[in-house]
Amino acid sequence: MPEHSLFLLISIGFFAAGALLSTAVLRRGEVAPAWMRVAPALIGAVFLTYFLEQRGEMHRRCPITNGAEVLTFIGWSVVLIYLLLGQAFRLSLIGLFTLPVIATLLGAAFVWLSFDDPGPRPHDRVDPWLEMHAALSLLAYGGFGLAGIAGVMHMFQNRQLKGGHPSGLFYSLAPIRYLQTALFRLVLIGTILLSAGIAAAFFMQKSPSLTHWIILGAVWVVYAGLLLWQRFWPLPPNRFAGLTIASVAFAFATLAVL
Amino acid sequence: MSLFCLGVNHKSASVDVRERLAVAQHALAEHLHNVHGLDAVDETVILSTCNRVEVYGAAAENASAIASVRDYLNKTFEMAPGAVDFYELSDEEAANHLFEVASGLDSLVIGETEIFGQVKKAYSVAQSEKATSRYLNKLFQQSFSVGKLVRTTTKIQQGSTSIGAVAVDLAEQIFGNLKGCKVMILGAGEMSRTTAQSLVSRGASSIIVSNRSFDKAEELAGELDGRAIRFDDWERSAADVDVIVSSTSAPHYIVTREAVEAAMRARPARSLFIIDIAVPRDVDPQVNQVENAYLYNIDQLQQIAADGKAQREKQLKICRGVIRDYLEEKGIEALREPRSGKPKPDASTSSADPSYTAGPLPPHS
Repeated sequence: MPEHSLFLLISIGFFAAGALLSTAVLRRGEVAPAWMRVAPALIGAVFLTYFLEQRGEMHRRCPITNGAEVLTFIGWSVVLIYLLLGQAFRLSLIGLFTLPVIATLLGAAFVWLSFDDPGPRPHDRVDPWLEMHAALSLLAYGGFGLAGIAGVMHMFQNRQLKGGHPSGLFYSLAPIRYLQTALFRLVLIGTILLSAGIAAAFFMQKSPSLTHWIILGAVWVVYAGLLLWQRFWPLPPNRFAGLTIASVAFAFATLAVL
Repeated sequence: MSLFCLGVNHKSASVDVRERLAVAQHALAEHLHNVHGLDAVDETVILSTCNRVEVYGAAAENASAIASVRDYLNKTFEMAPGAVDFYELSDEEAANHLFEVASGLDSLVIGETEIFGQVKKAYSVAQSEKATSRYLNKLFQQSFSVGKLVRTTTKIQQGSTSIGAVAVDLAEQIFGNLKGCKVMILGAGEMSRTTAQSLVSRGASSIIVSNRSFDKAEELAGELDGRAIRFDDWERSAADVDVIVSSTSAPHYIVTREAVEAAMRARPARSLFIIDIAVPRDVDPQVNQVENAYLYNIDQLQQIAADGKAQREKQLKICRGVIRDYLEEKGIEALREPRSGKPKPDASTSSADPSYTAGPLPPHS
């Protein structure tokens, strides 16, 4: 197994271990302390960064040259935003929902690479604007991914409250108002990053294809529209959460075309 | 040196008895001096709360110490001998009891934390009055360690056990910090008052009280530092509040789906928590269908509180295990230090006279 694949596998192990440990504690009716999610996420992120760095060295460019690398880069973006903002937004237990998603994304990437690794790209001249465009766009997808996770948490909390008899987990998750605030902010961060990514595309040596522009534009319109709508004609938060989940599903589906 | 505990609590004595025996805070020092002044008693701490009056003591010989404290209490509080069924515990039993009390296991609301502070205060007063020495000092220090140990290693504090606490927990899971939350009370009854006080104790502000009798609304508003509005105006104000607590005696729904929908149209992104503690209900159950409005009636709140109580009762066995392990590990023998002499109060003070009778004292919490 190549060294970089080993790094990827180790990082998957840490993310999965964090998710499994927290879930096991939860099944006992307790809530695992935050370090049980943050520490594996942090160590996993270090190994994932090693993996991306080695792939980058191999290609001599940003390691987003195939589907598996794109999945890995999105996983890295999600964990980065989780570590940077998850605690700041007081999103208690968001790690419980985030770690399995990251482990699944990376697991899929690992299997993909194991069966179909296209190997190093030819070392031709690299367009820094293309690199910037791709990296910022995928970071934006990381933000959208985390917004989708916060949306799921919001829908869970809303359902528990509406049901009239909330479970133990309800009291451990973040209050619904914090989730609403975080949802809006994560969509905003994602949209700003995507806007910057799209702006970078205008400076690329070779303009992206029309399909690429249409898809990117559609994702941007969906999220910018969502923000504007929420800003000027506020939707009930649960509907906003539902739309955030639908939007992230749409955004991730576009990756298959891109 | 032996340890003893003589007392009554909410399980062993009626409130009539407990309020007669209650030791007011301002008279505590005096009673401490009197009990400490008894020949058979070497050290003492008096714990008096609304649910218990207990005298803890250390003595060379327990039987005579307990008898003299019992006589003192009967005489001081004018109780006929034998009229009060005091429990009398010695050594391990007494230590175990104190540890259970400090851990909240012997409280009316199992796992409540207020008792921990009350035990600390009782000990602190006794210590400052020089009524304790090495034996009780060590025992009470241990009780604080055990109290913390039980609370941190078990789930005895999990789950709310009263309607007010459940309402606060739910409100905090909706709004996070309740600071700045606006509360409207419909109906100026006792239940509304209690629930609103629970919310205010966690930071809720801007209390609006609406009641058919405006005088009563003003009275309750004054008590809660809020403002009263006419009952006809509550719908107009509902658009600007976060929590509505309703407990009117109306025979029909006061808060309808239409009224809540109208309020939510003005603030679609802001949640509204409605607590209906009236029977018959004040709030149309259809209100829960309105997006971003969360309705809880008295049955639901009571069910959650009952679950909380059941959960705590299940924890009792585990907590008692923690205390048993602690006692087995540390052992009451560890408390038995060589006798250092009884630090008696100044003989010149009248309160040191064991025959001094303070007389019945007003009850307190």
